[in-house]
Amino acid sequence: MAVACVGAACLGGIAIHRGEPVNSLWLVVAAICVFLAGYRLYGKFIAAKVLYLDDRRATPAERLRDGHDFEPTNKWILFGMHFAAIAGPGPLVGPTLAAQFGYLPGTLWIILGAVLGGAVQDFIVLFCSLRRDGRSLGEMARDEIGRLGGAAAIAAVMMIMVIMLAVMALVVVNALKASPWSTFTIAATMPIAVLMGLALRYWRPGKVLEASVWGFLLVLAAIFGGQWVSHSSSVAPWFTWGAMTLAVASVIYGFLASALPVWLLLAPRGYLSTFVKLGVVMMLALGILAVRPQLQMQPLTRFIDGTGPIFAGRIFPFCFITIACGAISGFHSLISSGTTPKLIAREGHALPIGYGSMLLEGFVALMAIIAACVLDPGVYFAVNAPAGITGTTPVAAAATISSWGFPVTAAQMAQLASHVGEQTLLARTGGAPSLALGMAHIFARGLGGDWFLGFWYHFAIMFEALFILTILDAGTRVGRFMIQDLLGHVYKPFARMGWMPGVIVSSALIVLAWGYFLYQGVRDPLGGINSLWPLFGIANQLLATIALCLCTTVLLKMHGAKSMWIPCAPLAWLVSATFTACWQKIFSDLPRVGFLAQAHVLQSSLDAGRIAASQVATTRELIFNARLDAAVCGLFLIMVSLVLADSLRLWIAILNGRRPATLHETPFVATSLNLEQI
Amino acid sequence: MRRFFLLLIQLLRELGDENAYRRHLAAHGRMHSPDEWRRFLDARLSSRYRQVKCC
Repeated sequence: MAVACVGAACLGGIAIHRGEPVNSLWLVVAAICVFLAGYRLYGKFIAAKVLYLDDRRATPAERLRDGHDFEPTNKWILFGMHFAAIAGPGPLVGPTLAAQFGYLPGTLWIILGAVLGGAVQDFIVLFCSLRRDGRSLGEMARDEIGRLGGAAAIAAVMMIMVIMLAVMALVVVNALKASPWSTFTIAATMPIAVLMGLALRYWRPGKVLEASVWGFLLVLAAIFGGQWVSHSSSVAPWFTWGAMTLAVASVIYGFLASALPVWLLLAPRGYLSTFVKLGVVMMLALGILAVRPQLQMQPLTRFIDGTGPIFAGRIFPFCFITIACGAISGFHSLISSGTTPKLIAREGHALPIGYGSMLLEGFVALMAIIAACVLDPGVYFAVNAPAGITGTTPVAAAATISSWGFPVTAAQMAQLASHVGEQTLLARTGGAPSLALGMAHIFARGLGGDWFLGFWYHFAIMFEALFILTILDAGTRVGRFMIQDLLGHVYKPFARMGWMPGVIVSSALIVLAWGYFLYQGVRDPLGGINSLWPLFGIANQLLATIALCLCTTVLLKMHGAKSMWIPCAPLAWLVSATFTACWQKIFSDLPRVGFLAQAHVLQSSLDAGRIAASQVATTRELIFNARLDAAVCGLFLIMVSLVLADSLRLWIAILNGRRPATLHETPFVATSLNLEQI
Repeated sequence: MRRFFLLLIQLLRELGDENAYRRHLAAHGRMHSPDEWRRFLDARLSSRYRQVKCC
């Protein structure tokens, strides 16, 4: 009761403050209280009254124990492992971009979406997988919904991965372009990872923590080295790369990571990235609590009308599409039906692990929105808005942004760039640089002051780029396996994962697929994020739609219509938000929103001869890209509509009694596991 | 506080596969050696890097 009262008071405090800066602590306390109340009331209600979690029932970890994939694991250790697996860059970048609407819509959606949607989805999918020997989302969709649902889920994962890898690579490219300090630091993490890999393999086998500690110290040294590089007139040009060079480098890195032995590069980077990620998230939480910064952003900005410079589109549906993973993420359903269910010792542990971890992820998203909103709004828009909208010179950019009601000067931006050791901070789209700036301000106020701002900025960039590149390399490798599996049906040797021609061809195919979208993002005069991030958000939320269809089907089969509303409420919201976003991205008349309208405007200009001869080829490319994006969006829409239609058909048949409500759970086996032994 | 730090160390060892390696040695009654570690790690990484990472 006390927690609920404090939470209500904080939310009331946020609502009452008008026209004066709000301290970020109000948001933090409100979120913590709502999350605690949601866990205690809603999460426990679902666990006890809907899913009937049964601690007497042996879990797959106990029944199928093999010491590798299936192993009963301590509840809190598994909580940390599951959280480390679901916490990607999405909940950091998405809320940072959504701050263009102001801090209020994003904050409210993160708090409500996590409690009523994201945590519910993660928890129920984890429960379903627990009762089905740790089966994957695609397999469960096929068993419980039908063949069409299962096939669409698997195809959707493949397509979503391509878009995700491209947009993540674009975020890194935009963070590193024209920045010798950042580029040197990130480049240095590669030989450091290889050194760690060799040490773990040959010199200090088995000493992962030890290797990670000195690996991290070397990365810190690389940040200081980067500062020296940026000040050196002879070395700095070697690491001052343009966006296209960085894009090509990312593609080459993805290819190498996919084709090289996993122990050499991927695994050591993975270890390092996981530890750094957990450490920095904890540091940010402590930093916000210690510094208690004031929010500079307005609760609602003028851009709720859809004219936002970072990405176009109204608050509904684009705020929800953009935040994506911070409130509900389809990708979590792959983790909840992947490694985690194979490690759970008791069914009761699914509540803190499935539901609780998502609430913690919501908290991370909230910290990201706070880090973005503690920046001066003029600075925030100057960093995130593309040059295609604000103008190419600092003076023009400052004048445009100031005319929106967010005063900023060219001198202010130049001084800030100089403080953090960058040549410029203007038009650094993608969210990563502004998030790094916000984090650096918080860290510097806690430790080191303005003198350390440059170090903290590049520390934050290193943290973001390190774990985005971990997603990029691991995702490319998974994509390679998927392609090899697929091609193996056509030509058998492809199915052999070690067959070198197969490895090279499939690695090249997956890299070219996401590399093309990355190239398209880099060439886009509006910065690429305007078109690619919504596409990624739509894809992610559509995957969540598939997961919630599965949850609804399972609950319908367990209890009839009684408990359907629990997954159906977030499902209905997601369907309305994602389908509206998809429709608008394809058919909106506004060129900055609708892909087809954008293609039409460019085509008309081309036909009327208004495009300079030197720009004709580029314009043709942009027209093709806009049409391609529209086609991808349409394909997502069709695939998820198929799953939804298949699910609806099944639900109606079950409710009418025309189909038996057959669950595909494994039979009950009593547990004999002693929790003290794990 | 001590309990929290012990749990944290265990979590780090779990994330770093060190605990899984100990379980592997115990389950198969083997002693640690560089070759044993390489065999264990190859098997573990090949299954881990077949799964999608979260965004």
